[in-house]
Amino acid sequence: MSKLSNTSALNRRKITDLFGQSISWLFSSITIAVCFAIIIYLVIKGKNKLSLDFLLTQPAATMDQHKSGGISTPLIGSIILTFIGIIVAFPWSLSTSIYLSEYSERNPVAGFFRVCIDILAGVPTIVIAIFGLAIFSNPQFGFLSSMVEGVAGARKAFGRSFLVCGLTMAVMVLPFIIKTCEEALKAVPASYREGSLAMGASKWHTITKIIIPSASNGIITGVVLGMGRIIGDTAIVWLTLGGTLRMTGHQPWWLPQNWWSALTNTGSTLTSYIFYTSPAGEVDMPQVAFAGSLVLIILIIILNLVVEFIGKSKSIQKEQ
Amino acid sequence: MSEIRTSARTPKLTLSKVKDAVMEKIVFILAALSAAIIVIVFIFIFMKSARIFSVNGLSFFTTKNFDQQILKAFNAPADKPVWDFGVLGLIAGTFLTTFGAMIIAVIAGVTTAIVIAELAPPWMKRVLQTVIRLLASIPSIIYGLIGLMVVVPFIKSSLITNQMQINFIKYFQLSGNSMLAGIIVLSIMVLPIVVALSVDAINAVPKKHREAALALGLSKWRTIVKVVIPAAKSGIIASVILATGRAIGEAIALSMVSGGVGNIPNLANGPVFFLTPVLTLASAIVNKSETMSFETIQSALFACGVVLLIMSTILSVFTKVVQNFVKRREGNV
Repeated sequence: MSKLSNTSALNRRKITDLFGQSISWLFSSITIAVCFAIIIYLVIKGKNKLSLDFLLTQPAATMDQHKSGGISTPLIGSIILTFIGIIVAFPWSLSTSIYLSEYSERNPVAGFFRVCIDILAGVPTIVIAIFGLAIFSNPQFGFLSSMVEGVAGARKAFGRSFLVCGLTMAVMVLPFIIKTCEEALKAVPASYREGSLAMGASKWHTITKIIIPSASNGIITGVVLGMGRIIGDTAIVWLTLGGTLRMTGHQPWWLPQNWWSALTNTGSTLTSYIFYTSPAGEVDMPQVAFAGSLVLIILIIILNLVVEFIGKSKSIQKEQ
Repeated sequence: MSEIRTSARTPKLTLSKVKDAVMEKIVFILAALSAAIIVIVFIFIFMKSARIFSVNGLSFFTTKNFDQQILKAFNAPADKPVWDFGVLGLIAGTFLTTFGAMIIAVIAGVTTAIVIAELAPPWMKRVLQTVIRLLASIPSIIYGLIGLMVVVPFIKSSLITNQMQINFIKYFQLSGNSMLAGIIVLSIMVLPIVVALSVDAINAVPKKHREAALALGLSKWRTIVKVVIPAAKSGIIASVILATGRAIGEAIALSMVSGGVGNIPNLANGPVFFLTPVLTLASAIVNKSETMSFETIQSALFACGVVLLIMSTILSVFTKVVQNFVKRREGNV
């Protein structure tokens, strides 16, 4: 009798096990199918329009999908923004992480800094965007964009340009790069520091010549992740870059004497171009939007591969 | 002799010491600056929206019809600006879309994480992890585009009937851009985050936990449910909080698919509850940004930013508290 109830309990348990297992396989296969479907859908929809010509011609303001031109200026715009953002954010966040991991020995000030940076990391990008708009439309920052003219009594900066957007992006990626750099610096063994200090090197010398080179993989990973975030952001671009299709500075924008004018004027990036050409934007050209998305995804995949490659080279070093 | 040597060495020594001290100060100032950013964000956003809060008081959080208020402020004469705004509809929209998306994302995300980390064969694991990591880094605009091209037409053609459209035409237009579309897009967007971080948390559980449970005769599934998941709980919770923060702050994708009208969905409407167009706090800022040149509207949008800022701060602090709590408990045990 007891044996019988035992086996039936065992059977019941086996059935619940099987049930739980099949439920999770079911849910996960749905999830994974959706993931693959998204990528395949984008490739199918985007590949028709994609060509070298598409990458190299300027977009044209038209409602006709066949005359819409290419994505050269949005592509350049994304690259410029990434460049400005990283140039500003990288030294800034590297020094912050050096302070947090090398100079502050668990003191309360550093703890407070960490909390502030954590909170900044959680702030939605749209809030950073309106913050950038608010701060850079002050007339003191007029040199970064252009002054509003023709409105009586208004002394205000326009607050929308590549420089403004790049600086706002730098604020957005700052906490992420700090986090990755700090982890990379902390992973450097204490014996490296002790060895260098025992040889008589100063602390700063130890940091620049010993610690940063041995943490370089992690630091580069942080920078590449930051680049991915800047390329993929739309909210900040939409509010602080203006969302015009082409570069609006002096033409042609690629001549060196017009660079400053291009940087202090509006333009577009891949993300804002996709938003503009999607049915939600001003013109409804989904084909072009999909082709733009495909280019964006390819850029993101390249950045991911770089991160993966860096991670691998690091693990090889460790094994040796 | 020795005196000469020290006098020759002293200046060099002090130079490097001075450099050390100066660099330490510079590094400290830059660190203080990055911590100060969040304070500056708070000050600026509060300053820009102070007028809204002083005019509306607490009724800012309890009044609805944000869209009509924007329209009224837009049409108001320049000498008599209208400052009455209320964001109850937007808060409801934010809460409902985030909540719906998180339910889907947690169920599908945690089960997928279990399969990837514990059940799948190694080759499959590698492929799936690469795909999930790629999806976690896809920009939200692309999810918005796919939502607009696939999810919205699907909802329109298969869930909305003509009779429904006629019944609700005096309240809102049923076009497929709806809360349901928002929930679906948002859940697909945050799913990879939940999966990727949960897989990391599950992988961090020591192998000996599993071995002990298996040695005691537990089946593989029981080991996962009773031993591995409880041990990885804090990491999974952290991933869910992070994903919630992303969902609350998502602006572009939701402004594309969720309808852009600040309705409060009514449960009494039956299935139309899910098909109601809604507007969230973050997407309101994007949707109404074209009217930002009006000072009144600009302040109202900054007030939305204040609400978002407070929500995200609470979530960040909550994550810290959870981590500290777990750390302390594990330290005691």
